[in-house]
Amino acid sequence: MVAPAFEYVAAGSYDEAVRLLAENGDEAKILAGGQSLMPMLNLRLAHPELLIDINPADQRPPTLALHNSGEMLRLPALTRHRVLLEHDLVRQHCPLLAEAVRHVGNVRVRNRGTIAGSLAHADPTSEIGCCALATGARILARGPDGERTVPASDLFAGYWSTTLDPGQIITDVLIPAARPRQGWSFQEMVRRTSDFAIVAVAVIFNLAERSGAPASATVALAGVADRVVLADSELVDDDPEQTAARIADTLDPPDDVHASGAYRRRLARVLTARALREASARAAV
Amino acid sequence: MNKRQVVLGVNGRDHEVWITPSDTLLDVLHDELGLADVRYGCGEGVCGTCTVLLDGEPVNGCLTLAVQAAGHQVTTLRGLMGPGEAMHPLQECFLRRGASQCGFCTPGMILTSLDLVRRSVGQGQGRPSRDEIRYALVGNLCRCTGYTKILDAVEEYADMAAES
Amino acid sequence: MTTADPQTRSAYKVVGTSPAHHDFVDKVKGSLHYAADWQLPGMLHGRIVRSPLPSARITGIDVTAARALPGVVAVLTAADVPSNQIVELASGGLAELQVTMPVLAQDRVRYMGEPVAVVAAATPQIAHEAAELVVVDYEELPGVFDVTSARADGAPRVHDVGNTLVSWQIHCGDVAGALAAADVVVEGEYRSQHVEHAYLEPEAGVGWLENGVLTLRVSTQVIEHAAMIAHILGLPQSKVRVIAAYMGGGFGGKEDMTVEPYLALLVWHTRRPVRMIWDRQESLVASTKRHPFIMRYRTGADRDGTITAQQVEILGDAGAYPNLSPRVLFAAAACACGPYRVPNASITSTAVFTNNVPASAFRGFGAMQIVLGYESQLDELAVRLGLSRTELRERNFLVKGDLLPTGERLDTCVEVAETMHRALALLGEPPRPSGPGKLTGRGIGCNRHPYGRTIWFRDRASAWLSLQADGTLLIRSGVTDLGAGQAASLCQIAAEVLGAPLDDISIHIGDSALNPPAGGTFATRQLYMSGNAVLHAAQELRDRMAPVAADLLGASADDLEFADGRVRAETGEVSITLSELAAACDKRAISTAHLSTWRAEAGSFDPRTGQGDTFPDYTYGTHAADVEVDVETGQVTVLRYAACHDVGRAINPMRVQGQIQGGAMQGLGYALTEDVAIEDGYVQAALFANYLIPNAQDFPDVLVDIVESGEGKGPLGARGIGEPPIGNVAATIASAIQDAIGVRPDRLPMTPERVLALLDETERQR
Repeated sequence: MVAPAFEYVAAGSYDEAVRLLAENGDEAKILAGGQSLMPMLNLRLAHPELLIDINPADQRPPTLALHNSGEMLRLPALTRHRVLLEHDLVRQHCPLLAEAVRHVGNVRVRNRGTIAGSLAHADPTSEIGCCALATGARILARGPDGERTVPASDLFAGYWSTTLDPGQIITDVLIPAARPRQGWSFQEMVRRTSDFAIVAVAVIFNLAERSGAPASATVALAGVADRVVLADSELVDDDPEQTAARIADTLDPPDDVHASGAYRRRLARVLTARALREASARAAV
Repeated sequence: MNKRQVVLGVNGRDHEVWITPSDTLLDVLHDELGLADVRYGCGEGVCGTCTVLLDGEPVNGCLTLAVQAAGHQVTTLRGLMGPGEAMHPLQECFLRRGASQCGFCTPGMILTSLDLVRRSVGQGQGRPSRDEIRYALVGNLCRCTGYTKILDAVEEYADMAAES
Repeated sequence: MTTADPQTRSAYKVVGTSPAHHDFVDKVKGSLHYAADWQLPGMLHGRIVRSPLPSARITGIDVTAARALPGVVAVLTAADVPSNQIVELASGGLAELQVTMPVLAQDRVRYMGEPVAVVAAATPQIAHEAAELVVVDYEELPGVFDVTSARADGAPRVHDVGNTLVSWQIHCGDVAGALAAADVVVEGEYRSQHVEHAYLEPEAGVGWLENGVLTLRVSTQVIEHAAMIAHILGLPQSKVRVIAAYMGGGFGGKEDMTVEPYLALLVWHTRRPVRMIWDRQESLVASTKRHPFIMRYRTGADRDGTITAQQVEILGDAGAYPNLSPRVLFAAAACACGPYRVPNASITSTAVFTNNVPASAFRGFGAMQIVLGYESQLDELAVRLGLSRTELRERNFLVKGDLLPTGERLDTCVEVAETMHRALALLGEPPRPSGPGKLTGRGIGCNRHPYGRTIWFRDRASAWLSLQADGTLLIRSGVTDLGAGQAASLCQIAAEVLGAPLDDISIHIGDSALNPPAGGTFATRQLYMSGNAVLHAAQELRDRMAPVAADLLGASADDLEFADGRVRAETGEVSITLSELAAACDKRAISTAHLSTWRAEAGSFDPRTGQGDTFPDYTYGTHAADVEVDVETGQVTVLRYAACHDVGRAINPMRVQGQIQGGAMQGLGYALTEDVAIEDGYVQAALFANYLIPNAQDFPDVLVDIVESGEGKGPLGARGIGEPPIGNVAATIASAIQDAIGVRPDRLPMTPERVLALLDETERQR
């Protein structure tokens, strides 16, 4: 199929992109990696009149810096999936993300696709969205009214939609760097390797600060709802099986051509238990 | 729609082409420049028949706008060949090993494998393993060969590249 | 480490070796021009407008807005088609209903995606917009979407003449009596799904007018459709020419017409060249599919495992129009008992219309789906009788001279037992589970698959060879090339017989105006038919030139060797070049060109008695696999996979291996991941991302062994290998899963969810 005709403009900076978005409103879409947007256009599922190409707007690499809450990995919006896969800072300070990105797309998709593009696209099966929730990532967005920080847990609003205003563009993703006594695990079930996940689970597990205190874990799931989901922390205890069962009970996943809701719920339980066990084993090392 | 003229560097030569903003790189390479080795397969980015190297990196031709490629270097399969249609060693491995049946996936397979071997050997990691080759080719679908002879051909080339 | 090169011993110089030549060189160079790689001045772009509904009456079509769009040159509907009827009597009129299919729907649509109008415009962009501007008014009609509903009394009729297209019957012996007397009877019902060919090259072509001849250059397996196109346009057959480009895959999906009639209409109306390329998503929805089957089996056996009777009912979902359904269901019937001796058999095989997408040819063609049926019964019997699966099979394998249920006697050797031993040998020791919560299992699947067309079609193929003055050779054949070396194999055969080096041979194929007809590339028939045609043409040409060579060499015409571009007397040092031979022939007014037509054996079949001739011969094979099942998720991992077929003679061993590996991989997708999900006639999720064909990481290398029994009816004793390897796979995987978890899947694809449900059932039963 052929995309419906549109105009094109390249934005040299985020501010320019914000301005162009404000000028064109609903008729414009941001073009970052294009690996999610272009298929939609090729299938004629969207009809924007203008694409604003922000690829020239940002050449920054990932960096690590000390913030109030501790070390943070700063990933500029246009960080390509391939960089997430290969960059030393990501592998060292957010191994969960580096592992999850292995499952995203293929070589071509990872060469162009971006972290912000994935988050803004808000696919309910997104591995990156899942990791953003599990790590407690913060998303920096810029709009006509200035900058805003959105915790990942407040970002996703439903099928392919975020809480960002239409005029806002993600500029950075901040991820708390991995800490000592912390483990991680990413578990995914796909029908065919490298496809959209049926169900994926990302876990960050923190060993107890001192003996007698509880361990804690954040559990995020993809493929179980209309958006990626952060499990309620109150459901988490020391028993991976019980925790997984409790979390699965809160889910009511939809049926689709790849799997029924009941099967997804069951997978969520199995993969959550496996993720918790693996993450806690990693934390103990 | 307003057409604009851009310069695309393709296989080492510059081409001036008139494009509309919504033309994909695939459209322009195939229909405007007449390159038959870049092919429409799905329009979704999952099959790999439109693979080209953009500044040396494999990308989906169907998901890249032609205007985005302006001023950049595009390499297609034909761009790997030497004077007098001399084949690249990887092409010779494909031919010898029977890695091409209907041939439709072949350009994408070769470009993607070449990128893998170049980076792997170039970064001092030695030649990629058969599993690593499988992983790199996961986005290049083939319906004819069952992949085995393609993997054989890439491994044979990878050995050659690692030795030299 | 790389897999081994194929090991075969060849008594021949060129046949039996694995050169990579002809089109394969262009393919690795990227210089082959497929159907979409063709441009002509003033070329327009065509696009089909398709029904979004599976069953509806058309109450109006308004094309004014579409026609008014600048850049639109034509918008055509049913009224613009001179003869809007395609009548395909796939079994030659034998036993089938006659039902017509319109090129463009007139007053009714019968499946989602049925063509209703077609547009031609200056750019693909405008063609898309124009197609969206065509307004069609529909009034929905009730439809039927599965074979059971379609056969019920009072079911909505897809066609006025009824919903049963054809029902084949094959009966021999006394099945009821034998089943009643059997020591053990097993039964089962097995179901398969709609499957998409998913060739990487979508349907495509370019049409134009040249000297008043409507010319189509398209990705097609069958150039003989030229006659049908002439009929549709009301033209004499001499005014239509079809050229088959080398295909980027076919697998049966390009065996019926795809773009041809629409291109022809647009070219005829606009008098301009037109290109049409189907969207991948359009192809997923509307192109023909593999027939889903319901297979019901009852098998009776003695206590020692000897099969005494088998009763088989096959129901195939033909979709909305006949296409090749009658032949598909016939092939299923003819092979329903597999490679086993069944003295009392009762087989019915019925093609049923529904409002689903039409089903037609797909590698394996009915004889493929049915393997799951007969192999499941064998494994079930083995469990019941406490015999090993291999022992039970060996007790029942057919041998040369046995009768098939149709009354035919097998006249070539049956080496299926050898293929079974070799396939298992390739697997080696069974692997252990990789961890807790995993179960491993080993499975086998044997098959008997026909090659060559059904005998009553009196199949024939022609080839025209010309030895040029400079000693090079031209082959002209109407054969079409799917990518499996159809053309290149003919060169190898000619090189073997005439001694012309491969580099000196050019082959021109697939042109209905310029090549002698060879019949389409399907039914695994080309090596058998065109291979024999070239073999005999080359032998006849050599026999005609031999006396001239003998005279020049002072030798006997029986003592000559043609090789390496020369002719030499077997005794003595003297030789001449082929060029010198050609010159000498020319001087003596002996033609060095030869046209030969090879005719397959003829026969007849009586559909009332179900007795008579079916297929010329069969290819036998066995696959074996080790799998691991994750008991918590139901996911099945194939650890090792092996395939062995008796190919008679391997003309090109590397290509034979490639066919087996490729066929097995398609079978793995069929077994585990592929499903064109259709609900109430609507194709669900029509994205290539959602149609799960195997990728490079999904499955291990298919290990291959080849038996060369030499008794095939193809050239030099070859048997066909294009289709057979896809048939064994689903049964092999089901067998392996059964070995792992104790329960056998009976429904395809064997998704993790379905396997988990089986695991739950075994849990409940404990």
